[in-house]
Amino acid sequence: MIRMVADDLYQIGECVDGLHGHEAVRFYVLLNDGRPILIDCGSQLYRSESIKELDQVLDGSTPEYVFLTHSELPHSGNLESIASNWPHIHVMVSSILLPYIEIAPVLPLEQIATVAPGSTLEIAGREVSFLDALLKDQPGSQWIYDPKTGTLFTGDGFGYYHPAAECELFSDEVEGGIREQWFSTYHRDAFRFLRWVSPEKLNDALDNLFLRRDVKIVAPIHGNAIRGDIPEHVDRLKQAVTSLCMQYRKEGLDLR
Amino acid sequence: MSVKVFGDGLSRVGVREITSGIFWITHCLGDHAKEHYSDFFGLLSNPEDYVSNRIVDIPFSAFLIVDEKSLLIDTGSPAQRANTLTALDYLLGSHALDYLWISHIEIPHAGNAAAIQRKYPGAELITVSGGDDYYYALHGLEDAMLVSVGDIIVLGKHSIEMVDPIFLDHGKSQWLYEQTTGFLFTADWGHNLHEPSHNQCFQFVDEMENSGYTDELFVDDVAVNAWYQFPWLAWTDPDEIAAAVGRLFKQYDVRIFAPSHGNVIRKDVDRYAALLEEGTRKAVEMPHRFAY
Repeated sequence: MIRMVADDLYQIGECVDGLHGHEAVRFYVLLNDGRPILIDCGSQLYRSESIKELDQVLDGSTPEYVFLTHSELPHSGNLESIASNWPHIHVMVSSILLPYIEIAPVLPLEQIATVAPGSTLEIAGREVSFLDALLKDQPGSQWIYDPKTGTLFTGDGFGYYHPAAECELFSDEVEGGIREQWFSTYHRDAFRFLRWVSPEKLNDALDNLFLRRDVKIVAPIHGNAIRGDIPEHVDRLKQAVTSLCMQYRKEGLDLR
Repeated sequence: MSVKVFGDGLSRVGVREITSGIFWITHCLGDHAKEHYSDFFGLLSNPEDYVSNRIVDIPFSAFLIVDEKSLLIDTGSPAQRANTLTALDYLLGSHALDYLWISHIEIPHAGNAAAIQRKYPGAELITVSGGDDYYYALHGLEDAMLVSVGDIIVLGKHSIEMVDPIFLDHGKSQWLYEQTTGFLFTADWGHNLHEPSHNQCFQFVDEMENSGYTDELFVDDVAVNAWYQFPWLAWTDPDEIAAAVGRLFKQYDVRIFAPSHGNVIRKDVDRYAALLEEGTRKAVEMPHRFAY
């Protein structure tokens, strides 16, 4: 599925039916005036469809970079195909991640650069900021902010399960937007460390991020892009996190 | 120290027997560590507290239990695939690999699962329950035996029990306890650092004490590694976290402590349990500054 999110930002990828509803596995392309940048590169399960869709979006241009939010397979599973199709492509990962051992050896290590959280760099002529992922399912997770489109790429954070009829819809096309419950079910699965977390502290960190950055679009991998009503959706996510943390406390923190 | 090393540099793998029938299969960088970890402490929020000239190294480990049935704990990373397979061949000989147990699906823990299954087609995958078919397919874990906390698999004299992974990164994770030997595998939690220049690669922690490794360094290492591994500790209560470590060691009679990324502890586990509690508490109390 290909959809234009805004300006030069496209969303690619599939979704599947699971225990809790449909789960998206997306990745994103910034066309970037003929110097495309990919944010993650999708799951190997959908390699053939994803590469076909990517070709269609690129329309003959050569991607220069893949920014990986982290190296887990649903996010990096097509790296081998991409490196094979475009052997000069470069990959950027968080400096907390060790490329030689945490990324499948499918392209020369010299083509993988690490970037410290908090860095703002001009890459392929575009200013981009690399941030700490506040919801990590791997220590080397990063979130990426593109000021030109106002997009925050959040990896697994802000993921949600959606109803079967809404696979192709952005948040502003779903009546009522993304529900707190959709965030909650996904985050309970993905971030089990929330059992220990004081929600106020995590929510303060989320507030600080959204105060600091002018976010117009949140682009999760396991959900469609959230366009518009960003403060409302951040509040829903915070409420979902709060409810999950409270639920864990109610159930008890002891070893099961 | 009896260690068999296969390959060198980025792909080397060492093998050591920890106790009868349980083997440590591990990669670390050795002389190449300085190329990758020279700024290891500089990335902390409080690097001034860790000013030192230590060039540290980090193991990436799998463990093999050989009994009537054999079981491999995690797989190592594709970067060491060939030497890991050679090490397995060396250890198993004509013995089959019966089970391949996956703690979680990160590449250094599960990245060789398919290759190992190709070499040992009878090996049954074991992973944590709770996902749907799509999740397991997404991670190449189709047809795996799904287990939950408290489940036990008997291998012969050894029996493994699934353990609640109290400190985790990936949502679908599990730890493991071997009941006969008291071997506790804790994946990404509870690891120290070692120094290649002190010949500490492939050593057990008690052996490292002979080359200057101290309780203070151990506590610092556990704290620093937990800080890196579990940044969510920033939002937790140090007393709750420390209490959870205490409960873990009360619940299980741990005689061998084996994290994925540290040196194995095979002596004085009670003393180290207290240090693990102290180090994990310290990780919570370290400054955490997030880059927004």
